[in-house]
Amino acid sequence: MKKWLALMLAGAMCLSMAACGASKTEDKQDTKEPADTTASAESSDAAANAESSDLDYVRGNGNLVVGITDFEPMDYKDADGNWIGFDADMAKAFADSLGVDVEFVEIDWDNKVLELDAKTIDCVWNGMTLTPEVTSAMDCSNAYCNNAQVVILPKDKADQYKSVEDMKDLTFAVEAGSAGEAEIKALNYNCTAVKAQSDALMEVAAGTSDAAVIDLLMASAMVGEGTGYADLTYTLNLNSEEYGVGFRKGSDLVAALNDFLKSTYADGSLMKCAETYKVDASIVEQK
Amino acid sequence: MELIMQQMPIVIGALNVGFLQTLKLFAVTLLGALPLGLIISFGSMSEFKPLSILTKLFVWIIRGTPLMIQLLIFYFFPGLVLKNNIWGSGENGRFMAASIAFIINYACYFSEIYRGGIQGVPRGQQEAGLVLGMTKTQIFFHVTLLQMIKRILPPISNEIITLVKDTSLARIIALQEIIWAGQAFLKGSQGISGAIWPLFFTAVYYLIFSGILTVLLGKIEEKLNYFR
Repeated sequence: MKKWLALMLAGAMCLSMAACGASKTEDKQDTKEPADTTASAESSDAAANAESSDLDYVRGNGNLVVGITDFEPMDYKDADGNWIGFDADMAKAFADSLGVDVEFVEIDWDNKVLELDAKTIDCVWNGMTLTPEVTSAMDCSNAYCNNAQVVILPKDKADQYKSVEDMKDLTFAVEAGSAGEAEIKALNYNCTAVKAQSDALMEVAAGTSDAAVIDLLMASAMVGEGTGYADLTYTLNLNSEEYGVGFRKGSDLVAALNDFLKSTYADGSLMKCAETYKVDASIVEQK
Repeated sequence: MELIMQQMPIVIGALNVGFLQTLKLFAVTLLGALPLGLIISFGSMSEFKPLSILTKLFVWIIRGTPLMIQLLIFYFFPGLVLKNNIWGSGENGRFMAASIAFIINYACYFSEIYRGGIQGVPRGQQEAGLVLGMTKTQIFFHVTLLQMIKRILPPISNEIITLVKDTSLARIIALQEIIWAGQAFLKGSQGISGAIWPLFFTAVYYLIFSGILTVLLGKIEEKLNYFR
């Protein structure tokens, strides 16, 4: 008898919770995105349908939420605590062109797809390398910037390792899920995955790994004279790669951004912004 | 060393901002979890079996899963599964989600400590109260409560000190607490990049704060000594 009662109560509790959840979802869907569940499953063609458009969702909210990490020169804070950088400035201009405000949110890079799908951010705009993993999980814009993966070595050992072949006995520290990790794995060399590119540098500095693989843009900012890693240097580009902006699957913001990139490239404002942050040499032509 | 001296003011500024966030989460968690824990402990001691079974099941789930997973679930579940992101987009939503996860998690641990404290007060005292014609509520507040507080203070202090450091788990949903602030300088922030020392320096904040708490909790324990 008591067991039966307990079961009933448990069931009632589950039901009431489910009911709460459902009613809330409906409320929100009525006002903002009536066909959200189906929209995410459909392709970007469906996004043209004004009812389920991501663009309308962003316009309805009145702001474009941009997921970033603190990453000079793409997204970083000025002395007053405002977000600046090549990506940050372009994101502001893009939001302006949509007629909405921009909001920058620092995220944990490992959780970028989660954040997008849970709608806690609307795009990832942070010097993101377009790897197969990224392009399969998000819909991405055209590439706008070139980058490379470089090998970080202690200064005194750098001249012993001139080619990829020389490095086969080294142990590498790489960021988990990064393009650098993919390169080292493809070569079948020894590697340890760490949480961030900066952790990979720390591994080399502490001698716990022989070498690390990180972005060229980041290496030029963090390694060498006048930085915290004066004893390290970078050599050898392992590959070249491209940066893009990531959106939710099926989002019509992708097309909107591609148009925006084209028009700002054509009128020169994109290059002007790039020159401000000294990334103009890496910009990809938009046509 | 010179470099560190130059970086010091900027780093300390950023760490202070992060530490404020840590303190906020700490305070909110305690304020929420201490009373909620008592309610849960009543639930698990209830003579109404279904309620006590349900409560115990709940406590088992919360104590049996990592707080880090709970943080991820609380923050991402509404948007991912219910298709309704209730947290909004900014820092505040992250703080709310973290607070709720921490309060529920700690309340479950506290509830078991409370239960031990309440059941540790000799039953004879409750029976004596009943004989004197006191109600159950009167007995709890006038007879059991203070003795319970004295008994549970050491284990609660333990949890409180643990909580100080557990707040760092909230960085998994990008709540910018002090560890996050320290790590930012590794990667590069505010013109400082590749600085390792700020991350390790955060330990000093934790040490000082838990030191203060230890002294404070010790004082309270002394005050309650008159029960002997």
